Amino acid sequence: MAAGWLSKEIALIAVPIVTLIFGILIGWLGQRSGFCSIGGFRDFFLFRHTRLLNGYIALIVGAFVGYLVFWLITPAAFEHFFWLMTSGFTPVPGAPAGLSATGYVILAVIGGIAVGVIGVILGGCPLRQCVMTSEGNIKSLFFVIGMCIGSVVFTLWISGLAIGLLKGIV
Amino acid sequence: MEKENKSTGIDTWARNPLVVGLLIGILAALVQVLLISAGGPEAYGFCVACHTRDVVNIGVNAVAGTKLAAAPISQNAVLPVMTVVGVLIGAFISAKIYDEFRKKTGSAVSYLWYLLGGLFFMVFALFMGGCPYRLGLRTGYGDTIAFIGILAIIGGVLAGIRIATFMTEREG
Repeated sequence: MAAGWLSKEIALIAVPIVTLIFGILIGWLGQRSGFCSIGGFRDFFLFRHTRLLNGYIALIVGAFVGYLVFWLITPAAFEHFFWLMTSGFTPVPGAPAGLSATGYVILAVIGGIAVGVIGVILGGCPLRQCVMTSEGNIKSLFFVIGMCIGSVVFTLWISGLAIGLLKGIV
Repeated sequence: MEKENKSTGIDTWARNPLVVGLLIGILAALVQVLLISAGGPEAYGFCVACHTRDVVNIGVNAVAGTKLAAAPISQNAVLPVMTVVGVLIGAFISAKIYDEFRKKTGSAVSYLWYLLGGLFFMVFALFMGGCPYRLGLRTGYGDTIAFIGILAIIGGVLAGIRIATFMTEREG
C-alpha cells in the first residue's frame, strides 16, 4: 500500500486543500507566463519561438527530477517509479482500463492527434483556456463548459464504447 | 500590451515559462508524496482534463445520485482534487492584481465552436488518460505510452497548423 508523508486519515481531508493551493499557484504562474503546452509546439513550428516550448520541456524535466528526489526520500509514495522498469510497456492508470499495450498506443495516438488539432485551432491547451477564462475571455469560458460536458459524455457513453471496440480489434 | 510597470523580482520569475514549468513538475511530485495515501493513481499531481473530470463527475454523482467514474484519490477524499478550481481562482486574482482582466466576447457561432471544441478536447484527452500536462508528468514518471501521446500531440499540432492556415487562406 502506497504511503506518503500524510497518514491516510489526514490525506483524505488534505486532498482538496493541498490541490486547491497548488492550483491557485499554477493559475497565478500560468497567468503571468502565458504557459501553454500546445502553444509551445505551435510557436516552435510556426515561428521557431522556443519560449513556451522550453516551459513544457522544463515541466517534464522538473517532474522527473521531483519524482526522483522524493522517491529517494520516500520510496513508498512512488511504488512504480521508474514506470518503464517496474511496469514495462503499459500506461500509468488513468485511461480506460483493461486494454492491451497496442490498445493504449492506439488510444494515445488518436487522442494526441485530436488534442493537438483542436488545441491549435482554438488557440490553446486546457490550462491556457482556463487562464484566459479567468482573464475575461468568454469564448474560453465556453471551452471550459464544453470540457465539463465532455467529461460526462465520455464517462457515460464513449469510455465503454472505446474499450469494447478496442478489445474487439486488438 | 506591455506595461511599463517595473516588475518585482518574483514577477520576473513568474513570467518565465521555464521557471514555471520546472516548478509545476517538482510541485506535482510533492503533491504525490503528500497525498498518495489517499489513493492513486500515480503521477496525478496536475492534470486539467482528469481533475476537471473528477470534480464534474463527483459533483454530478452528488446531485443526480449517479455513479460516474473518478480517480480513486477523488472518490476516497472528502472532496475531489480541486486543482482546476484553484487555477481559475489563481489566474483571476493575478489578472486583477496586474490589471490584465479584459472582458472579451465573441459571436454566438464562435461560442458554439468553443463549446464543441472543449467537449471533444475532453473526450480525446481522456482517451490518452490526461491532458498534455499529465502526459508530461507521466513521461517524467517513466511511462512510454504517455511519451507516444506527446509525439501524437506534436503530429496533431502540425496538422492543426495546416488546417488553420488553409482556413485563413480561404477566408482571406
